[in-house]
Amino acid sequence: MKYILLISMLLFAGCSEKLVRVQAYEKEYFAQDKMKFNPLDQRTEMENHVFLIREASAGGDSAFQGGCGCR
Amino acid sequence: MQIIKSFFISLLLLIPFTKSYASSLKDTMSFGFDTYSDSGNVEVYSPTFSLMKALSNEFLLGFKVRIDSITAASIKKLAAPTAPVATTAAASGGGENEGPDDVRFSPTFFATYDNGADSLTGGFYVSTEKDYQGKSVFTNYVRQLNQDNTALGVGISQSFDNWEPAIPLTMSRKDRKESKVDLSINQLITPQLSIQLVYSYLYSEGFLPSPYNYLVIGGTNVYEKYPETRTGDAFAIKGVALIDESNSINLSYRYYKDNWNIASHTINTEWLSDITKNITIGLRGRYYTQTKANFTKPLGTALATDAYIVSDYRASAFDSFDIGVPFVYKPSSASNIKFSASIDYYQTTSNEYIKNWYNTDSLKAIYTTLRIDYDF
Repeated sequence: MKYILLISMLLFAGCSEKLVRVQAYEKEYFAQDKMKFNPLDQRTEMENHVFLIREASAGGDSAFQGGCGCR
Repeated sequence: MQIIKSFFISLLLLIPFTKSYASSLKDTMSFGFDTYSDSGNVEVYSPTFSLMKALSNEFLLGFKVRIDSITAASIKKLAAPTAPVATTAAASGGGENEGPDDVRFSPTFFATYDNGADSLTGGFYVSTEKDYQGKSVFTNYVRQLNQDNTALGVGISQSFDNWEPAIPLTMSRKDRKESKVDLSINQLITPQLSIQLVYSYLYSEGFLPSPYNYLVIGGTNVYEKYPETRTGDAFAIKGVALIDESNSINLSYRYYKDNWNIASHTINTEWLSDITKNITIGLRGRYYTQTKANFTKPLGTALATDAYIVSDYRASAFDSFDIGVPFVYKPSSASNIKFSASIDYYQTTSNEYIKNWYNTDSLKAIYTTLRIDYDF
């Protein structure tokens, strides 16, 4: 948590010129499905809920989940 | 009801975070159909629909709905709550009655403002089933930085849920509230590599076990008792890399820890390949391992007078794995239609709690997804 906040502050403070690592014309691959963190949205919804009701852990997915009686 | 009775109430809203790299808002519609079936005799069939309408270049309204048709032996088992384990009759799935045991309707409404550099989404979600009412509000904010090389995200959600058991049960309380805060950083490293860091804070309060789970102690059903609060933290790191023009690999790791002393490690990897200009397929594998809660006792040692009673295997130590095959088809690169599908096999390791409740050594499940996206 502390590290994430620290990194965020550095980024917001403008100390991040070195983070401009990819130019606009070099981003074509990131538009492709295979370069997404969640290449299939439908599967991501489904699998996250399967794991949520079958396992005791949650989080780390940076997405909202509604409350449910399965946990 | 039991673990699976209340299946598929929740859903993920990926919109704000998947828009990690600037894109324009557009009108989209999707139709989907998911299935789930496991060795605990649970079957779920779920049609889904979503519609997103851009009101301008910066505003979008969205609606999603999911309808879950659920058949579960654990629901039927309520008719005979003195049975210590799932009986053959109870585990027969269909039972004497035709049709599903429950049908859930769960719509979500949301609105997004996106000016290219900032994206703000807010919305609410409701769900209804026979014995559980869910209501949630959520908001997400994503800020693009460094010429869209970096994306910072903050997501907050709060649910206000209530149990309404179908049979008379003594419950200490009937409410459940869950809070979640997500912080994420996406960073492009090279034109072929990006990474994401996510931290999640989770807090739950209220009646946290299932009101239907019980242990048979001295010939009496003793229902589960858990602490009324739970606080967890999750850290995840993810990376996706292009191997060559046609192949990519996705890797992620998550560490989770909560104040019930449950800790877990999750690793996931997926390979995706464009086998033609129009078709992408892949293979993914996931491994998960967790420790038990600090109040979970070995099965058969609990006393009716214990402060906490555990029947649910998820409060015990076990591992699981998942293997799956994804599939994506686009008629052409300029097409406004996309088809995606997947099939996954999931299995837990053997566990005495699973054996006690489901009458099977481990849970084995197959789930599938199918979706058609249309941009208009």
